[in-house]
Amino acid sequence: MDNEPTNYSMSSRKSWPIVFWLSGLLGQAEREVVLGDLTEYGESGGRAIANVLGLVVRRKIAVLLDLRLWLAIALVVLPVSYLLSAIAETTAGQGAVYSWMYLNNWDWALTRNPGFWHVLREMAMNFSITCLVLACCSWSAGLLIGCFPNAILQAGRKTFIVLLAASFMIDAPARVIHFWMFLHRLPLRVSLPDIHAPVTANVFYHIFFPWIVLTILVIFPAFSGIRQGNRSMLFGPKMRVLLVTAATVSLLIMLIQAPSSGLLLGAPVRQWLWRNRNAMQVLPLSCCWPMFYFIAIGVGRYGRRKAAIMR
Amino acid sequence: MVLTSGWSGVCCLRFPIDSFLSIYYIVMEMIGEFEYLILSSAARLGAEAYGASIRIETEKATGRRCSIGALYTTLDRLEGKGFVKTWMGEPTRERGGRSKRLVHVTAAGVKEASNFFRVISRISKGASWTTNRLTTR
Repeated sequence: MDNEPTNYSMSSRKSWPIVFWLSGLLGQAEREVVLGDLTEYGESGGRAIANVLGLVVRRKIAVLLDLRLWLAIALVVLPVSYLLSAIAETTAGQGAVYSWMYLNNWDWALTRNPGFWHVLREMAMNFSITCLVLACCSWSAGLLIGCFPNAILQAGRKTFIVLLAASFMIDAPARVIHFWMFLHRLPLRVSLPDIHAPVTANVFYHIFFPWIVLTILVIFPAFSGIRQGNRSMLFGPKMRVLLVTAATVSLLIMLIQAPSSGLLLGAPVRQWLWRNRNAMQVLPLSCCWPMFYFIAIGVGRYGRRKAAIMR
Repeated sequence: MVLTSGWSGVCCLRFPIDSFLSIYYIVMEMIGEFEYLILSSAARLGAEAYGASIRIETEKATGRRCSIGALYTTLDRLEGKGFVKTWMGEPTRERGGRSKRLVHVTAAGVKEASNFFRVISRISKGASWTTNRLTTR
């Protein structure tokens, strides 16, 4: 154990790993201070544990009693995690159907058909755009969460992951049974109304593929967004407001596009959306603004580096 | 001086304006006794005020144990109110190469602690423990 106090009794030495582990539940800076204080004070084993545990409990309770956390969960984390989970599920379903069509049923004879290449090109482009929009929306959601005050950031981040996984696992029992049947080589039965029954009968597309999509297109970009949102505290207030507004607008656009969200909009809005459906299909592309943001940051960094070399 | 009821049920005294403000301070703004102990310890220690030293000082003065949890949550609260300023110091050998959280009492903190002391001194005047008269039966 690094920097373990040397002036401690045997019982204190035994308790030190517990103290060390408990202090890990505190923030990095506070952990250093508390361990330093315990070392300097020469606190006995049980007392040291009680002291650190007391501080950890006080800190956790303070976070739970913070009204901002509950507001952030209700207004941002809950809707965003449901939205991303629903879009990821749809994207995974779409990807699974295309992959099953082309990878599991590949026929070399089709390659001689010009129509095949046309459809494949169109499908690849549509699916790539869908994936890009989902990743950018996840990044935007992460950015919003990353802008939470530091006191509630960790709790907000954990709640986001838990809710994301929970809403994604709504049909988890069915998937687990499916996997169990697959492991025991039992004949797989799929429900008849499922038009993609041959695809969902495949254990990879039914169980693993959605989680791969969720991890790559939602969790990784969201964490990158959280990091960026936390760093945006260093930017000026105008830039921060601009980023938060852009992220909020993209999420609202995606909310309109999300499956079954139309039920919340009311009949006149649904009719208007239907009449302008061609424009609505292009609208999600505006959610890809994080790409331009990254390009701008990259160009800025390159410019600064070049200027430094010139000097 | 007339005793009236007001302030959503809190009993208040009708004094001249300065007394009124001091009563308002007592009811709405006054620091707690543990906060006062921390402020006093930090002020006494001066440049040597940090978590462990404040804790030792408080324990010596009160003869009671002071938990790390109570100390640091109180320090956070005092910092939030602007009564102290804290920052991370350099790592030292006796602390196993770990940093201290140094504490400095701000002008607002000094004002608040002195106000608390004044109130306690004023309210204690004539009490049996200050005059050594036994009044309890």
